[in-house]
This record gives sequence, C-alpha cells and structure tokens, in this order.
Amino acid sequence: MNTSGYSALVVITPCHASRVIHTARKHGVRGATVTLGRGTAHSRLLNFLELCDTQREIVIMVTGTLTATKTMKALCDELKLEKKNHGIATIIPLDNVFGLSYMPSGEPISQEEESYMHKAIFTVVERGQAEAVMDAATAAGARGGTIINARGSGIHETSKLFAMEIEPEKEIVMIIAETAQADAITSAIRESMRIDEPGRGIIFTAPVSHACGLY
Amino acid sequence: MSALTQKLKEVSLTVVPIVIIVLILHFVVTPLDSMELYRFLIGAALIIIGMAIFLLGVDLCITPLGNLFGHALTKSNKLWVIVAGGLLLGFLVSVAEPDLHILAVQVEEVTSGLIPRLTLVIVVSLGIAALLVVGLVRILYSIPLYWVLTGLYLIIGILSLLTSQGFLAISFDASGATTGALTVPFILALSYSISMMKKDSKGSEKDSFGLVGVASTGAILAVMVMSLVSGSGELTGQLAEEAAANTRLLAPFAAALPHIAGESALALSPLLVIFLGFQVFSFRLKKRPFMRIIKGFIYSFLGLTLFMLGVNAGFMDVGVSLGYAVAATGSPVLLLFVAFALGTVTILAEPAVHVLTHQIDEVTSGSVRRGFVLIALAVGVGLSLVLTAIRIIVPDVQLWHILLPGYIIAVALMYFGPKLFIGIAFDSGGVASGPMTATFILAFTQGAASATAGADVLIDGFGTIALVALTPLITLQILGLIYRRKTTKVDLIK
Repeated sequence: MNTSGYSALVVITPCHASRVIHTARKHGVRGATVTLGRGTAHSRLLNFLELCDTQREIVIMVTGTLTATKTMKALCDELKLEKKNHGIATIIPLDNVFGLSYMPSGEPISQEEESYMHKAIFTVVERGQAEAVMDAATAAGARGGTIINARGSGIHETSKLFAMEIEPEKEIVMIIAETAQADAITSAIRESMRIDEPGRGIIFTAPVSHACGLY
Repeated sequence: MSALTQKLKEVSLTVVPIVIIVLILHFVVTPLDSMELYRFLIGAALIIIGMAIFLLGVDLCITPLGNLFGHALTKSNKLWVIVAGGLLLGFLVSVAEPDLHILAVQVEEVTSGLIPRLTLVIVVSLGIAALLVVGLVRILYSIPLYWVLTGLYLIIGILSLLTSQGFLAISFDASGATTGALTVPFILALSYSISMMKKDSKGSEKDSFGLVGVASTGAILAVMVMSLVSGSGELTGQLAEEAAANTRLLAPFAAALPHIAGESALALSPLLVIFLGFQVFSFRLKKRPFMRIIKGFIYSFLGLTLFMLGVNAGFMDVGVSLGYAVAATGSPVLLLFVAFALGTVTILAEPAVHVLTHQIDEVTSGSVRRGFVLIALAVGVGLSLVLTAIRIIVPDVQLWHILLPGYIIAVALMYFGPKLFIGIAFDSGGVASGPMTATFILAFTQGAASATAGADVLIDGFGTIALVALTPLITLQILGLIYRRKTTKVDLIK
C-alpha cells in the first residue's frame, strides 16, 4: 500500500507547533506546514459552560516513513502525548509525493502490507456545520475531533458579491478513529449531514499507520 | 486544559509586569500609601480574572456576532443593505461605549455647556457609523486601504488647521475613546468575516484589518466638524476634581460596583438587542449556537464588570499617586524612564490587544508571531508616554508639534511597508487606546502634570490618548518592514 516510502506525519497540539517543528528538525524532517484549528474534548460541565472549544495547531510534515516513525516516537515522549489532552500524533502513508528533492538517509521503501489500527476521517462541510458533524460522529462512537477553518469551491460555487470574487467558507472536521469504528462513524455522518446529496459536502478517509495520544 | 485556564494563564502573564513595575517603584523610588498598594493588588487580581472571563465572552459571542452580521450583510449583495446595516451597527455600538460618555461629560464641562453631552455622543457615533460604512464598502470593492487612509488623513489635516488647539486634542481623544473593549472585537470580526470570503487569499489576509482604523477616523472628523459648526473657540471651563479618600480597604470597590455593572450592561445592550432582532428575522440559529451566544453575553458582562472594577477602583488612584510622586522628585530623567516603563507594560493588559493579536494569529495562520506584535505595540505605547511626559515637562511643546509629524510619518510609511501591516497598524491605534489607557495611563499623566510647575492638568490630560493611538501606527509599520526583510526566502537554487 505504502509504495512511495513517504508518509505524512500529522501532529495536533495545543499551541506547541514551534516545539514540534524544532524536535522534528532534529530527527531529519526538513519542512512543516502549520495551520490552526479547534479541538473538541469531552466533559459535560465544560460543555455547559462553553469552555470546551480550545485552539489547536495542526502540523503537517511530509517525510520518509522511517523518519516519520522515529520523529513521532520522539514527539510522544517530549510532549507527553500519552496524557489526556496533550495532543495526538498520527502517520498517514502516502502514495505519491512530489517536490521533496531528497529521500532521508537512504531509507528503504517498505513493501510490507501493514494492518492499520486507525483511520483518519475527513469531512468537508459548509462553515458552521462542523458541530453537527461532530455530534453525529460522537453519537457513533468518536472520541473527539479537530475542526479546521477552510474555504473552497465546487464548480458551481465561486460567485461575486459586489466587486469581490468570493469563495464560500468551509470547515474540515478531522477525526481519528479505530478502524473497527470508522465505518459506523462515516455512515453516521453521511446520514445526518445528507452528504450523498449534491452540494452537501464530502467525506474521505485515509489509513493511519501509527498513532499516539489517542485515549 | 480548558479554555478558561488557558486564558487565565495568558492574561496573568500580561498583567504581572505592571504589578512588578509598580512594586519596584514602591520599594525603590517612592513608597505608596499601603492602603493604595493593597487596593492595587486586589485590582490586579480582578483584572486578571475579569479579562480572562471577558475574553472568553468575546470568543463566544462578540466575535461570532461580528461574523454573523458580516455574512448577513454581504450575502444580501445589495449596497443599500450594507449602508443601512453599517450605519445602524456603527451607531448603536459606539453610542453605548462608556469611554465616550466619560469624554462627553468632560467636554461639556470644559466648554461651559456649549457642547452638550448628548450632542457630542450622537455626533461622534454618527461619524463612526458613516466611516464604518466607508470601511465596509472599501473591503467590498477592494479599494486599497492606503488610498482611503491617505484621503481621510488629508481631510483631517486640512480640518485641523481650522480647529482650535483644545478641540484638536479632544477630537483625537474621541477617536481613541470610541474604540473600546467591545467595539474593537466586534469591528475586527466584522471585517474578518467579510474579507475571509474573498477568493484572493493574499487580499483577504490584508483586508481583514483596517476597519477599526478607518472607523475611528470618523470620530476625529465628527468632532472637528462640530467644533467648526458650533464656532466654539478656546476651552474655558474647569474640570471638577474628584477627591474622596477612603479609609476602608474595600470601600472603593463596593462603591464603584453598581455604577460599573450598569455601564457594562449598557455597553452590551445594543449588541444584544440587534442580535435578538436579527435572530428572529435573519439568522435563525439553532438552539445550541443561540444559547452559546447568550452564555457569551453573560461571560462578557461578568468579565467586563470585574475588569473595569479592578481598573477603576484599584488602579486609578495608584496611577495618580505614582505620577504625582515621580514628577515631584523633580528629576525629568526619572519621569521619562518611568513613563516609558509603565507605557510598555500597561498596554499588554488591554483586553482588545489580546483580541487583535489572536486575530492576527488566526488570519496569518501564526506566521506573524503574537510576541512580535506585542513588542512593537509595547514599545509604541512606551514611546507615546515619553512624548506625553515631554509635553508635561516642556510647556512649549504643543500637541500638534507631535501629531503632525507623527501622522505624516505614519501615512508615508504606508507606501513602503507590506500592505498587511497597514491594516494591523491602523487597527492597533484604536486597540491601544482602550479602558486601561483611558484610566491608568491618563491618571498617571494627570498626577504627573499636577506635580509639575507650568503644566496644566486639563491641557496635558487631553491629548494623551491621541498620542497612545498614534505611535503604534509607526512602530507596527516598522515591524512590517523588518518582517518583510526577514521572511524573504533564502534562495534555494543557488
């Protein structure tokens, strides 16, 4: 499956992106992309007081699979990801990668077929609907998720308001779930958001080869 | 970590420096009355708790509201809706701003009733509303910000030639006073929500800022026009000095509470009313988002009340005493130094500063660091207090001697620096002059002025906020220049 030998190391952390990048550099990762998101966690009291939404930073690093695994282990130790709410780190194997002009330290391309414990479920919906997605996912067994603000357009959507071309705003919901549960969560979201109707959004999932910080 | 603990941590870090500076002054330079010192410490605690809760409220209600209004107005795709909506929002939000009412009372006193309190409040609010519309239309039609600002400041420059000295100070102060703790987050969110829809991401980044800057020129213009129309010349009246020595530790807090709670409620009420109105006719939010905004209003009210209580009952007296004591030592160097130190740390405790820096973080996805913006702001406000202190020590220095070259530099810099920083800089002018400056820093200046021979408490008092609003325009644009040089990519191919 992972024929390219490259993986994306995705780290979701409350405000430690710079530290993540610093550590990753030491382990041979050459570049990283950071974006901001919101995390959701569970506590009824915090929910009632509306104290549960907190800022997250999402660091995406594309690198060799071995480097990614090594870096992830180091990050797990350094950021104490095994503790609740300290963030999560996942590795998503990639098929094709272009634009990286190196292969870190002559890594062999692993051909082995791995069995994946987790899946990453990405749901792209209109701005403001991420919460409904999370509700559906939680009801189907998801433990938490990260909401990323985004914008984009389908072929029908770019339009003009006054003199400015606009692109509708979107939200991306990223949920890491156990493979066994992933299907249930995906179909729950599909059903409640009526994703299968045109213009309601899209869902895609990707296998996660390693993960830590999930509880 | 819940949102509240995170905010508490962040806010504590910004309030502690003031406490440290004041304590150093207390032990090294001039001891304060112990009762005052305890009140100051209680005030600092209230400010930390209050600001954390208030910022939470901003996240839950003020910012989402700004976004909702921005969307609702823009999506109409009709110019008259933007104009009418902008006028309504701008007017109602600024008419309820407590700082504006304080300024209006002072103006009524110094003009011996020639300009009644209500007239000033309404005129300034109309000015803000009109310029808010200008700012919105600018974003929608992608008119470059520096054109608009250059034009506006040209008009202000011409008008200021015709305006008397006293009114010049009042008009610039009014612009600072109207952009307070509530207006700034709301206007920031409004411009953010509209410009975020833009297809061109570079454009949407830089257009997220600047609306506060444009709107606050409305106040300057309004007061100048009013002073020309009413024909009032020099300021004649006197400010009534309020001096009440309280002997019990907590008495000032208890005394100020009802008044401050009322002000906070008043400031929030127009937003609540418009929100409920729009909810019925336009938003139609579901129950959970609706309840979240309502809870946000409760947080904002609680937080704002605690914060203002801390500032007014705990900080104000210390400000006056410090200013008086430091100036009374007769050492200009000490006064300049203390003014700079206080200015730098006080600005960090301004609620709107947190909102702005977080907005910058979000818009640029963290590529413009919060820390750098904070440093530039702090240095700017520190410098503005040095200038204020110079005005106090050297009576010959007039306000326009500083304002004129200052604004010429600020406008000229727009043509050199990165465009993103123009908006940030002109917004932070409004952001810097919030409740903390309007009370603590003003109190310090007035204290210093009353201990200096030849300084006039009234004349030197007016104009302080104007300077605080000016210097960040320059320092942040300079930060922009540095930022551009540092982020130019090292050529990979070579």
